[in-house]
Amino acid sequence: MTVTTISSASNRVPKVPLFVLAGAIAIGLVLMLPLDGYTVSIIMQAATYAIAVLGLTVVLGYAGQITLAQAAFFGLGAYSLALGTLDLGLSFWVALALAVVVSGAFGAILGLTSVRLGGHYLAMVTISFQQIVTLVLTNWISLTRGPDGIAGIGRPSILGRELTSNVDYLIFSIVVLTLVIISVWKLKSSRLGRRMEAMRDNEIAASVTGVNVYLTKVISFTICAVLGGLGGALFASGFSYISPDQFSFAESIVFLTMALLGGVHSVIGTALGTLLLVLLPEMLRFLRDIYLAVYGLAVILIMIFMPDGIWGFVTLLSDKLFHRIAARRASAPLKLAKNETPSSAPVLEVETLSKHFGGVKALDNMGMTVSANEIHALIGPNGSGKTTLVNVLTGLYKPTSGNIRFNGETITGMAPHALAARGLARTFQNIRLFRSMTCLENVILGAQRPGNDLTPDGGNAEARALAALAFVDLLDRADDLVGDLPYGHQRKVEIARALAASPRLLLLDEPAAGLNSTEKQQLVELLQRMKALGLTILVIEHDMPLVEQVADHITVLNFGERIANGTPAMVLRDQLVINAYLGETHVHAAT
Amino acid sequence: MDIILQLTFAGIGVGSIYALVALGLVLIYRATNVVNFAQGDFPMMGAFILVVCLLSAGLPYWLSILLSLAGMVVFGAAFNLGVYYPLRNRSYLPVLISTLGASILVQNIILAFYGPQPANLPALLPFRGFQIGSVFLDPQYIVIIGVSALLVVLQYLFFEKTLLGKKLQATSQDKEMAGLLGIPVKRMIMLTFVYSALLGGIAGILVAPIIYFSITMGNAIALKAFAATIIGGFGDIRGAIIGGIGLGLIETFGAAYISVPYKDGFAFVVLFAFLMLLPQGIFGEKIAEKA
Amino acid sequence: MNRLLYSIAGCLIGTALAASVAHAADPIRIGMVAPSTGGAAETGRYQINGAKLAAKEINDAGGVMGRPLELVIEDDQTTNPGAVLAFNKLASDSSVVAFLGPIRSTQVYAIEPSVRKVGKPMAFGGTDPKLTHLGDPWMFRFRPNDKISTAAMAGFGVNDLGKKKWAIVYSTDAFGTSAKDLLVPALKDLGVEPATLQGFTSNSQDLTPVVLEIKQSGADVIASFATVQTDQAILAKQLRQFGVAAPVIGSASLISATAMKLAGPDLYGSYALTDFFGEETDAAKAFSASYEKAYGNQPDFFASWSYDAVHVLAKAIGDAKSTEPDAIRQALLAVKGYEGAEGTYDFDENGDGLHAYSVVQNKDGKVVFVKRVEAAEIKAKD
Repeated sequence: MTVTTISSASNRVPKVPLFVLAGAIAIGLVLMLPLDGYTVSIIMQAATYAIAVLGLTVVLGYAGQITLAQAAFFGLGAYSLALGTLDLGLSFWVALALAVVVSGAFGAILGLTSVRLGGHYLAMVTISFQQIVTLVLTNWISLTRGPDGIAGIGRPSILGRELTSNVDYLIFSIVVLTLVIISVWKLKSSRLGRRMEAMRDNEIAASVTGVNVYLTKVISFTICAVLGGLGGALFASGFSYISPDQFSFAESIVFLTMALLGGVHSVIGTALGTLLLVLLPEMLRFLRDIYLAVYGLAVILIMIFMPDGIWGFVTLLSDKLFHRIAARRASAPLKLAKNETPSSAPVLEVETLSKHFGGVKALDNMGMTVSANEIHALIGPNGSGKTTLVNVLTGLYKPTSGNIRFNGETITGMAPHALAARGLARTFQNIRLFRSMTCLENVILGAQRPGNDLTPDGGNAEARALAALAFVDLLDRADDLVGDLPYGHQRKVEIARALAASPRLLLLDEPAAGLNSTEKQQLVELLQRMKALGLTILVIEHDMPLVEQVADHITVLNFGERIANGTPAMVLRDQLVINAYLGETHVHAAT
Repeated sequence: MDIILQLTFAGIGVGSIYALVALGLVLIYRATNVVNFAQGDFPMMGAFILVVCLLSAGLPYWLSILLSLAGMVVFGAAFNLGVYYPLRNRSYLPVLISTLGASILVQNIILAFYGPQPANLPALLPFRGFQIGSVFLDPQYIVIIGVSALLVVLQYLFFEKTLLGKKLQATSQDKEMAGLLGIPVKRMIMLTFVYSALLGGIAGILVAPIIYFSITMGNAIALKAFAATIIGGFGDIRGAIIGGIGLGLIETFGAAYISVPYKDGFAFVVLFAFLMLLPQGIFGEKIAEKA
Repeated sequence: MNRLLYSIAGCLIGTALAASVAHAADPIRIGMVAPSTGGAAETGRYQINGAKLAAKEINDAGGVMGRPLELVIEDDQTTNPGAVLAFNKLASDSSVVAFLGPIRSTQVYAIEPSVRKVGKPMAFGGTDPKLTHLGDPWMFRFRPNDKISTAAMAGFGVNDLGKKKWAIVYSTDAFGTSAKDLLVPALKDLGVEPATLQGFTSNSQDLTPVVLEIKQSGADVIASFATVQTDQAILAKQLRQFGVAAPVIGSASLISATAMKLAGPDLYGSYALTDFFGEETDAAKAFSASYEKAYGNQPDFFASWSYDAVHVLAKAIGDAKSTEPDAIRQALLAVKGYEGAEGTYDFDENGDGLHAYSVVQNKDGKVVFVKRVEAAEIKAKD
């Protein structure tokens, strides 16, 4: 599901006043140019379509979910407005609100299904929804008037002026479109928008960073549907006639192509793609019989040669032309929130924990206790159940039986984002960062975890994030894309992200994996500094020399069972442990 | 009882059309992890070449069929090179849009140079069908069911018993690993597209005598075939067959006993239920979780 | 940007032309909205061919008021928004004096507001009866409306064929549904309640459930309104396969060249109500002959209505000796007794030009004339 992007563009997209200016210029042009009726209706179509396509920017561009049903929402909005004004006798504005509510409600329902499905399956669910809407619009004649469609849909009045002229209505549409563009653009840099992008880049990493993935998906689908409905309602009123065939699956594909063509990750791209795709067939009319064929070819070529759409292509070019220099960053030293746990009290208690996969006992009757302000190491050979334990602890797996307490509270079976909210932060064996974001943006997401106490940083998530980056010596890379960093640095960013969340327990899953010996030494030093800060750390590691240097306490797992527990000196002399590891050194020797 | 038998036969018949197209869809999906939205145009293309050779050029029947299959080999290769291959390292979305573009392109090229008229192709068997009790059997459907079954068996033998089949399988499961093992991944993907196009061509030649050739003949079938693969599970050839026939039966009985106008809706309602309750499909492989 | 340049250039050229005052060879331009792409592209070709043939005949005979006639054709892509865009493009060209609109009623509905706004006459082929009752003075229909055709169908089936058990099969789109909705009351007027109503979605691959239902209903006649020709052919084939011998009676698309070629013997014996029949009148015969000479195949009603429309518009302009919209409108309303390929044009105050339907039969692949049903006769029976 990962969608690669160049969303570093977010740092330099135009500011709100620019959008307002662009909208004003568009209106000025409409008023001043002697546009014929034909041009006005094309632009009107483009403007109303663009509102719906911006919904796809949210769901596909920001949240990374596919939908092939935008025409259905467009249609639901159009029909709600038409039937609301004509059959229910509502005023235009009330019917417009109805259109938004109806399409939004169906969007939320569709969003609920996306909670369980992704990729092609989600695509198929949305296609099904689209087909069913088309069938109902066509066949439920007593409600929708059937295939003949609905004629005579009225226009609204604003300040006593009825927008009967197409130019007036076009201006109204452009105003609405500008407002929608600004909102969708604002959404991107909002907390919700960042969560959507985090979810798009890496769902699991997002959930352990405190993003409620389910809720975020449902919200993004709802926003998408609301914009679809709004666009549809304006379309219906603008063209005064609608029929079911205007809201078919084929139209949904047109919407999707519009979004991808312009560049689905930015509002400008979306608007551009819509305008182009409405105009393209019109401009190609001179080709007569083959113009749709040329259109199909153009779609393929743009996909091949402009991977991030036309706008992505433009920003890439401008990046190359004007090499941008990152601003210098400064930060205050990292301070942790007040830790209320008295020293040496247990932070994490695991009792008789089991996790079975079918007949395989990945964890069996396992118990351990992590005390405050200690570095607790969990070791064991490959396949001993370490990763399973971490995944159960962080809520990615539900345990088969047993009990987990975190700061005295039973947390068994809680969802990842709920655990994150309680101060459980983790890193991953195979790094899971949001690759299309900058280091700082990644870490800010950590700082924004629900319940994070930001008072030491003046309530500012960005200040906290900068402090955390400084702590891992990466302040100078704050504005670089994570994907451009070397592997060792990416690990540090992941740790900084966890640190920024002021964790009450920090879980590091094989932090030394893939590091060279210099980097390992830096890691040892980083771990010791973190301990000095007062953190409680559970580290899962293979690397025995590293564990020996940092750990206060070691728990050893083998075949899902705890075989040793105690201080490093004690545990590393344990015969069972030596046996378990000798087996593994043999394996290592063999490879 | 007769009615139920007749509906069953019709359901299996139309379902086997979906299954034939689904078979090609699954193949490409397994090799590339991409759903080809132009899959419906493969049978259309096969039938179209046959129409041109047989009806426009007046060539003999069997020669026309051979030419049509040869044409599909070229078409499959061109499709891979032009639509999929340049995008192979990207996520599924650009590829999906690219296949949609290809569908528009192919249909409109034929429209521009051949024209929009539908055509009737002769059936493989020269007689009009027979009656068993009061149940009528269309021989073309029997041919389709037979060919589908044969193709499934051949495909099974090919994938499981031959080295080339094993290589194709390895490519579809892990391209990187296959490359490391010295399997020519490029060539394997090319082969998959060619084979899938060939399958599509055969499907087109078989179904055109029943549903007639038209430029849009593949559109509705492809969507149903897509649904069938999801019901059956993307991972398996058996899934395509069971899913396709299941879908055909659901539609036919739904139309007969619930509502004809909503016929196309049943398939999607069932699909919806399947995705909610059994998202991996009937034969889908369990995807191991690894955090 | 280009558009701007063009419009500037257009203005310059326009003033230059205006200065030289209507040159004798200035063409009279008629705009035409027709599908060249999309689902109805095939029928679009017949419509365009018919219109072009008429324009050629008029120009060969010296044009209208000594000026040549020029057709400006825009593709509607077989969609409603496409029709609106195509029409608006034509309407924005002020030198276009009249229009040929779509043959699909929903498209006519979609562009009617634009027609009203531009205020120039539009000839169209959509047969939904309501289209000429929208209060728009610029709408002129060149085909008999569906009320006439369904009444004629019911009358012929019940009275002439003596069939009382009707099965009605229709595509659940605008064409099929509205035909069904008109036929049911028309039958009721004759005291007949349909035995079964079967709607289906276009582009079905199999119609077994529909055909079984018809068989069980014991219908002795099947009224069929399929929008897509391949659906019609599948229905005809499956009816024969399941041993339903009742005759099929349907709209003119049943005897279109395509449907007859597709379905072959499966449609032998079926009846169709058509506004155009190539061997019925001298005008129709002449049109068929010249169409076949020009394009190498038989015309159908898609070609005949646009052929007539161009001829009648040219005649109206010639009669009015003016290209002013209102003058053309008055001249169109004054057209009485014009013998076209489709029949005799007598425009009433609503803009309906034709009032009769022909019943024809597919006899072993050849279409033969059965009888002509005048709207007036059907009304007399009420």
